[in-house]
Amino acid sequence: MCGIVGYFDKTTANQTAVGERLLKMLEALACRGPDSAGVAMFGSHPPRYLVAQVKLGDGDNLAERAQLVTGLAKEFGGEQFSRADAYLRFIFKEVDNLKPFLSKIESVGHDVEVVSVGRRLEIVKEVGSPGRLEKAFHVSKFQGKYGIGHTRLSTESVVDLSHSQPFWGHGYADLAIVHNGHITNYHQLRRIYEQRGVRFYTENDSEIVATFLADKLRQGKDLEAALQSMIIELDGSFSCLAATDKAFGFVKDPFSFKPLLFAETDQFVAVATEEVALRGAIPGNYSAREAQAREVKVWQT
Amino acid sequence: MANIDAAGQSVREINQAIRQRIGRKEAVTVQNPGARHNLGVALLEAGEVRIAGSVGYYCGGLSDGASIEIEGSAGWGLAESMLSGTVRVHGSAGSGAAAALRGGTVVIHGDAAARLGVSLKGGTVLVGGNCGYMAGFMAQKGTLIVCGDAGEAFADSMYATECYVGGKVNNLGTDAVLAAMDPGDVVRLEETLATYLPPALRKTKPRAVDFKKVVSGRKLWNFDKRAWKIWQEAL
Repeated sequence: MCGIVGYFDKTTANQTAVGERLLKMLEALACRGPDSAGVAMFGSHPPRYLVAQVKLGDGDNLAERAQLVTGLAKEFGGEQFSRADAYLRFIFKEVDNLKPFLSKIESVGHDVEVVSVGRRLEIVKEVGSPGRLEKAFHVSKFQGKYGIGHTRLSTESVVDLSHSQPFWGHGYADLAIVHNGHITNYHQLRRIYEQRGVRFYTENDSEIVATFLADKLRQGKDLEAALQSMIIELDGSFSCLAATDKAFGFVKDPFSFKPLLFAETDQFVAVATEEVALRGAIPGNYSAREAQAREVKVWQT
Repeated sequence: MANIDAAGQSVREINQAIRQRIGRKEAVTVQNPGARHNLGVALLEAGEVRIAGSVGYYCGGLSDGASIEIEGSAGWGLAESMLSGTVRVHGSAGSGAAAALRGGTVVIHGDAAARLGVSLKGGTVLVGGNCGYMAGFMAQKGTLIVCGDAGEAFADSMYATECYVGGKVNNLGTDAVLAAMDPGDVVRLEETLATYLPPALRKTKPRAVDFKKVVSGRKLWNFDKRAWKIWQEAL
């Protein structure tokens, strides 16, 4: 099961209640995935700064962890620190290479994880229902242009904060994905990436989608070409939404195993596993269509 | 005309209300369907049901005689295993529409997603737009009409279903072959198109005579070890 959603505003620069839209869509799909919920939202932040969301750990020493991470983040010009649940959010000075920042922050503990970094992207996740996600992070207050969300029914890996979606393309600023399905050549691909030194944070096969797309984008492909290469190189079932600071799009596997439909008007693009999410969140007269097998669609921001 | 407001009611309550009304020979309109699943499933009497919006999965499935009109789009498994009656969708339909249909007519004005009419056992399926991957797979009887383009692996491993495609057929499934349209086919096809498509929509579709007919090549009907190559490729 699992439910995935995406919303892209075509009219305004950055001022839509994208958080509220995503939350309502997720609530309508909550029965498809009671284990966890999460969103990746694209807003605007001060120029020449990146925004980070850091998971402080799985234990009960989060206050101490927050202090340690804050101290280290200040070395990178970190400011505007705020904590919600197990997450610490802050902005820091833009860098070309994120590696030193990531290794420094994640050196605090094996369960400390930089969940997202981006000029526009912020990811938050919570174990349990979309309602719990809202309670912890006030997602509905988020103003932005577009975003994607996920509600999870775990099938093959544990239920915890790290295994929840969306996944960040770890190390690649502003790339987020949500995936419904099962990548059957996951172990094979993971070995290849691990030999190249890529660290995996979970046992969740969906994480490989983010790793894969980050790899393709680093090679210079645009999002559309990267999503197209999923059809050739990933096996199994996938209905997948991905977004960067430049584009927003989806891909469906060659067998159309998993549902995914979308509606597009002059005002918005909305994508969801089931139409009930669209009708529950977006009033008005518009039509929706199920995506076809191998279909890739991308909208530029 | 009876109005049923679906908002705030469980699907069971909505379906019970529909059954009661058509049992009394009243035409029914379901307001605010909200794309919910299992609406109008297993309606076992003739009756008119109009759904003022989109429906979720399995709408009209297992029904026997009802006439259902959906003014929005439909999710997966539309009219699955329907025995008789009519289901008409103004928008598009999700995957597995009219799967294992036994009788009656399913009309989709827009596109159909993957696995349209798989294991079709009778009846007529008419799509105004395009159909997706693997339509007609292992279809046994009945008629499958697609006014637009056919998707990948069209009519794979079929038995005796007849398919008609108004647009492109670029990728036939295993053992699917193009056949000549005979005059009787053209007459029957034109009659079906004229009966089930609204006139304005009918005008935008190809002439019956320009449709391509796709049937089973019958090579998979009986196993023949000399034809092992086709069996290797069959799904």
